[in-house]
Amino acid sequence: MARALRVEHLGLVPYGEALELQEKRVEAVRAGSAPDTLFLLEHPPVITLGRSARRENLRLPVAELARRGFAVHEVARGGDVTLHAPGQLVGYLVCDLAARGVPDVHRWLRGIEASLLAALGALGLPAAPRAGWTGVFVDDPAADAAGLAPRKIASIGVGLRGWTSWHGFALNVTLDPHAFDVIVPCGLHAVRMTSLERELATRPEAAPADLDARARAAAAAAFEAWLA
Amino acid sequence: MGIGVQLPALGESVVEGTIARWLVKEGDRVERDQPLVEVTTDKVDAEIPAPVAGVVEKILAAEGTTVPVGAELARIAEDGLQASAAPAAAAAKAVAGAQPVAAAAPAQRATPVAKKMAEEARVDLRRVEGTGVGGRVTKADVKPEAQRGALPAAAAEAPAARPAARRSAPGREAAPAKPAFLSYQLQPGDKLIPMTPLRRLVAEHMVLSKRVSPHVGTVAEIDMQGVVRVRDQHKRSFQEDHGFSLTFLPFIVHAAVRALREYPRLNASVLEDAIVEKKDIHLGIAVETEKGLVVPVVRHADRLSLSGLAEVIEDLSGRARSKKLSADELKGGTFTISNPGRHGNLYGFAIINQPQVGILRMGEIVKRPVVREIEGEDAIVIRPIMHLALSYDHRAVDGAPANGFLHRVRELLETAEFDL
Repeated sequence: MARALRVEHLGLVPYGEALELQEKRVEAVRAGSAPDTLFLLEHPPVITLGRSARRENLRLPVAELARRGFAVHEVARGGDVTLHAPGQLVGYLVCDLAARGVPDVHRWLRGIEASLLAALGALGLPAAPRAGWTGVFVDDPAADAAGLAPRKIASIGVGLRGWTSWHGFALNVTLDPHAFDVIVPCGLHAVRMTSLERELATRPEAAPADLDARARAAAAAAFEAWLA
Repeated sequence: MGIGVQLPALGESVVEGTIARWLVKEGDRVERDQPLVEVTTDKVDAEIPAPVAGVVEKILAAEGTTVPVGAELARIAEDGLQASAAPAAAAAKAVAGAQPVAAAAPAQRATPVAKKMAEEARVDLRRVEGTGVGGRVTKADVKPEAQRGALPAAAAEAPAARPAARRSAPGREAAPAKPAFLSYQLQPGDKLIPMTPLRRLVAEHMVLSKRVSPHVGTVAEIDMQGVVRVRDQHKRSFQEDHGFSLTFLPFIVHAAVRALREYPRLNASVLEDAIVEKKDIHLGIAVETEKGLVVPVVRHADRLSLSGLAEVIEDLSGRARSKKLSADELKGGTFTISNPGRHGNLYGFAIINQPQVGILRMGEIVKRPVVREIEGEDAIVIRPIMHLALSYDHRAVDGAPANGFLHRVRELLETAEFDL
């Protein structure tokens, strides 16, 4: 697959704006006028409901969420409810799967998972997928054996227009996992959200100060290794 | 007649999709590649584009229905071609194809080889649990059934004896095993208290600590007479200078920190195949608050004088109770002291605060009769006694250094050479 991948760092972008940007890029990629793209960015606080989202997975009424500074969006991606806020690295992959010779959404999802695992590994955090769940979890056999809730560090939700992908992943870097207390992330009650900063803090080597930038670089490198 | 729009095979393991939303309605003009309909599978939302430009003649799968891969979703009358006058028969056929999966399931859920084998052996595929991709029935699934089929009819007709055959949960990935929590039938008058995030965190941490770290406990009986004397001497002036009363806790912290300097193995963490003895001593002080247990950290506790320790502890525990601690002030402890401070607390073993390897827990200070040698003669005297219990992680610490450390704490407290 000799397709190029362009990585664009966008900084902090409101959700609606980023959605428009994605739509435009989806159309451009479908028309063959833009290369496959990975957008890396962060969102101001927002809660998004995927197509299979259930309202009961919002723990507060929308008005109360708005009072707390969360916009609520319904979006055309798979999955349930999730939350974005600064400190979370969001990656949107606009790629033509058919042109890449991977016309298979599940292989695509597994590829995103594998790249996130590689990025986290490079940052010093062992992570793993979990059978039956999409997303990336901290690899902690001791906690599993003790029956503790799995700790989820990244969520994945993908959309397709024809064979062109959009949406992607959200990796909690320095975002306080308690931010997720207002929702049932991905509709999974048995899962606890965590962040890179928090996981690295429980390890003796302290988390570096520029963790957000390092996570961004590691993610860009991992996806380039896979797709570029 | 129009061009059919089918649900494409979105992936090898995708066997069906649910119509989430139609983006067009019958009679709409659409461009080639314009999204027509949103279809959801478990984690993916796919927009199916129009294969040709034209007019949407017929929508064949209603929102909310689940259809198998290949089912016809709509028909489009292509530009330049007239819409068929009598598409009824074709539409009816297509509708059948777009029926909810439950009805169409058996035909969709077996590999061709399995189907052939089932046909030959007259095995009802609906009774076979599929183990293939997406729950499809494979040759291997049919084989035992086919062999059974060769047995007398009675055996083949006894599906009730095989509950697995009655299960119909195809397609979905198996749900992961949930952590084992107790289930309990609430009785009248029971009070159900949902865990706060802090409570949950504490609970999980306790379980984790007990799980990863083999705890050993050891207790020292400490004569606090010297400390009591020093404290009594400075009580009034300290209160005047600092605005709060001097408690016993700073004395214990002061002694523990000095002993940790001499026994660095207690100021450590366990890595996968190494132990780190830490240079800095950051002492966690367990404080019970209304909201729950928090452990603020006195950073560089070994650089502080007794009154310096008292100041910092007073500040941290006050702010812990008024919930004004920052996240940083709860991080990075290298050893912990717990002071439950309740009456009736002789001694007890605390759970180690991971990733540390030791924790001291203070007992109540009570006057007790003890034997002392006074002027060469044994005598029973009354002294303020405190039991100090050390829990340590046997992965990193053996009995000798642990007891050595605890004994040194005791010595420092009993000698009571404290400068304020």
